[in-house]
Amino acid sequence: MSTTVQETNSFKEYFSGLFNGISTTVKGMWITFRYVWAVKPVSIEYPEVREVLPERARMRLFNDVQNCISCTQCAMACPVDCIYIASEKLPEGTEIKKTSNGQAIRLKLTQFTIDTALCCYCGLCTTVCPTECLTHSLDYEFSQYTIDGMKYDYLAPDVIAWRDRIVKS
Amino acid sequence: MLNIDVAKVAELINRHVSGANATAFLPEDTKKLDGSVTVEAAKIFSVVEFLKTNSELPFNSLHVISGVDYLEHMEVCYMLTHYDPASPRDLILKVRLTDRVAPAVDSIVRLYPAANFQEREVYDMFGIRFNNHPDLRRILCPDDWQGWPLRKDYVAQKDYNGMSVYPDGKMNFDDREFIVRQDMIKKAQQAKAQ
Amino acid sequence: MQTRWDVGEPEKPTINIETEQLKSDLLTLNMGPQHPATHGVLRIEIWTDSEVVAHAIPHLGYLHRCMEKHSENLDFRGVIPFVDRLDYLASMNMEWTYVAAVEKMLGTEVPRRGELLRILTAELQRIGSHLMAFGTYALDLGAFTPFLYAFEEREKILRLFEEVSGARLLYNYIWVGGVWNDWTSEQLDRVATFCDTMEEEAKKYHELVSMNKIFVQRTANVGVYSLQDCFDYGASGPVLRGSGLSWDLRKNVPYSLYPEFDFNVPVGTGEVGQVGDCWNRYYVRMREVVESIKIIRQVLAKLEPGPVMGKVPKIIKLPKGEIYLRHECPRGELAFHLVSEGDAKQPYRLKVKSPCFTHVSMLPRVAPGQMIADFVATVGSIDIVLGEVDR
Repeated sequence: MSTTVQETNSFKEYFSGLFNGISTTVKGMWITFRYVWAVKPVSIEYPEVREVLPERARMRLFNDVQNCISCTQCAMACPVDCIYIASEKLPEGTEIKKTSNGQAIRLKLTQFTIDTALCCYCGLCTTVCPTECLTHSLDYEFSQYTIDGMKYDYLAPDVIAWRDRIVKS
Repeated sequence: MLNIDVAKVAELINRHVSGANATAFLPEDTKKLDGSVTVEAAKIFSVVEFLKTNSELPFNSLHVISGVDYLEHMEVCYMLTHYDPASPRDLILKVRLTDRVAPAVDSIVRLYPAANFQEREVYDMFGIRFNNHPDLRRILCPDDWQGWPLRKDYVAQKDYNGMSVYPDGKMNFDDREFIVRQDMIKKAQQAKAQ
Repeated sequence: MQTRWDVGEPEKPTINIETEQLKSDLLTLNMGPQHPATHGVLRIEIWTDSEVVAHAIPHLGYLHRCMEKHSENLDFRGVIPFVDRLDYLASMNMEWTYVAAVEKMLGTEVPRRGELLRILTAELQRIGSHLMAFGTYALDLGAFTPFLYAFEEREKILRLFEEVSGARLLYNYIWVGGVWNDWTSEQLDRVATFCDTMEEEAKKYHELVSMNKIFVQRTANVGVYSLQDCFDYGASGPVLRGSGLSWDLRKNVPYSLYPEFDFNVPVGTGEVGQVGDCWNRYYVRMREVVESIKIIRQVLAKLEPGPVMGKVPKIIKLPKGEIYLRHECPRGELAFHLVSEGDAKQPYRLKVKSPCFTHVSMLPRVAPGQMIADFVATVGSIDIVLGEVDR
């Protein structure tokens, strides 16, 4: 199936081809040239100017451990198994706290770690959460030097401090 | 699957291809599930040739060849289709292979060139050899990969060209404590699942 | 019966006498895996005689992510994020096809608004995908600016999707039973304005690229697939339509609510070049953009308030059996062969029929006798996404 390039032998075809080539090129160049003054630039210079993310944007996960009831539903729903939860029974006679939407916390959360390097940001874990404590925050700048740094333990004090910075209300 | 009466197709095949032994499978709930036609593995070439060339119910194109491993037997499913705006139709044609050590079936590349890559993929994933295939190599996995990945009893090789296939834990565990905790999680999940 | 198959002895290319005298041996040239014209990590081994391609052998698998094996260990909802990653330029269509297969086996009713929103997102995604195809195709042929124009419009679609689903590329938006979130009226208004601007833009693209003499010279009569080739190789989508068959699943085998919509199926007519060449495939895509705009406008007119999610059991379990379901995606017909063992939470087998895989297997058919530069034009015109080829 070789390409057949037709030889434009006739005088008329030659000049009409020439005219066609020049006119279509000039047309295209004109469209491009208009962008010099008639169209405003759409690109954003990132570190200085930041786009406002929509509310539903699924960025880094955040778990509000005070409301977590250790139900492990998020870990079960996660398709890449990046959520690690551990909990133990509360000792007898401890006062049972309640979450902000009224569910009783019957287990003591001893670990809640998310490996954001594995996370695929699909949002399935946030939809199954009964107390809505696991949410996607709007923080997208969390690059790290080592892959270990991508593991976030949400019981660690520095992450709890991070909550005040990121999560409003 | 559209516009197909599997019983009729099976009857047609039985009438025209001797020894094909076509059996139609129609599910109870035809709205939800698809029926299929199963033929003898030895006769697949003549069956597909008949389905391609007959005038009553022709299929002018092959969509895909898919393999399924049911442990006691393996199936190769040929999705035939007819590109014709007037009468579109689909057919799932199956052969059943009981041999797990060296399963083989005739290639249909000479009928549908589309089968070339598709059969290579089935060979790559299930180890089913296609006789008379012009170029039966692995297609998605590397050429020196061992085992047939989509078989249900597949165990991945530990080591490939000096690289570890499953590194111990997908994460970089730096503390043993973490692994201990992870075991606890697994137990909790298993308890939950039961 | 005539047998035609392309691997094995390569066809001898037609070359002129001077090169015949100089000819010594075929040169092996590797195009890819890191080559800008292959749109990903496709390696094509080309045997060339001077600048004429004698034979091309695609080598796949550089982006193989074991998706089919992996999905056998996931629950039916958990597969959706992985289906997204098949064709990452048309994730909505991928999701919809998979979800439709699960829904058909489950027997779920989707509310009307949910179904309409699915059509809306799928058609917007189709425009986005075709814009990408348009931009990168022009980029392959040496024109840089159309790429930027295409991205400017595509950005608007991505922004809408980001607002409604939360992600820009891998949405996980279409769920079993409906869609995740509802669109607000403000967003729908923006879709309407987008339709208007996009129509103007499409005209601009035609002026800029489609009828440009240089572009026409590079693409017309190049990489011609006859209709018989398309049938033999199981091609679909714009490749099949570019070869002159009016075949669109949305029209010929209507699924979802498509019978209610009025739109045309663009077919390669050969007004420039001949039917089945690169230019016609490209032009079919550009006309499909306009048809999608038509559908979107009708969706906007039909939308009424209502629920977007139907009733789905908390744990999805499918009956024992199998299904083969096809949908029309921007690159061709995507199909899922879903096998389920009774009462299992995971798919027993999920086979993806990917259009790009089929189209890559067509490349050796058209390569012999082409110039290398024309071969690049052919690879670009079938618009492959390697995520879907290698799965």
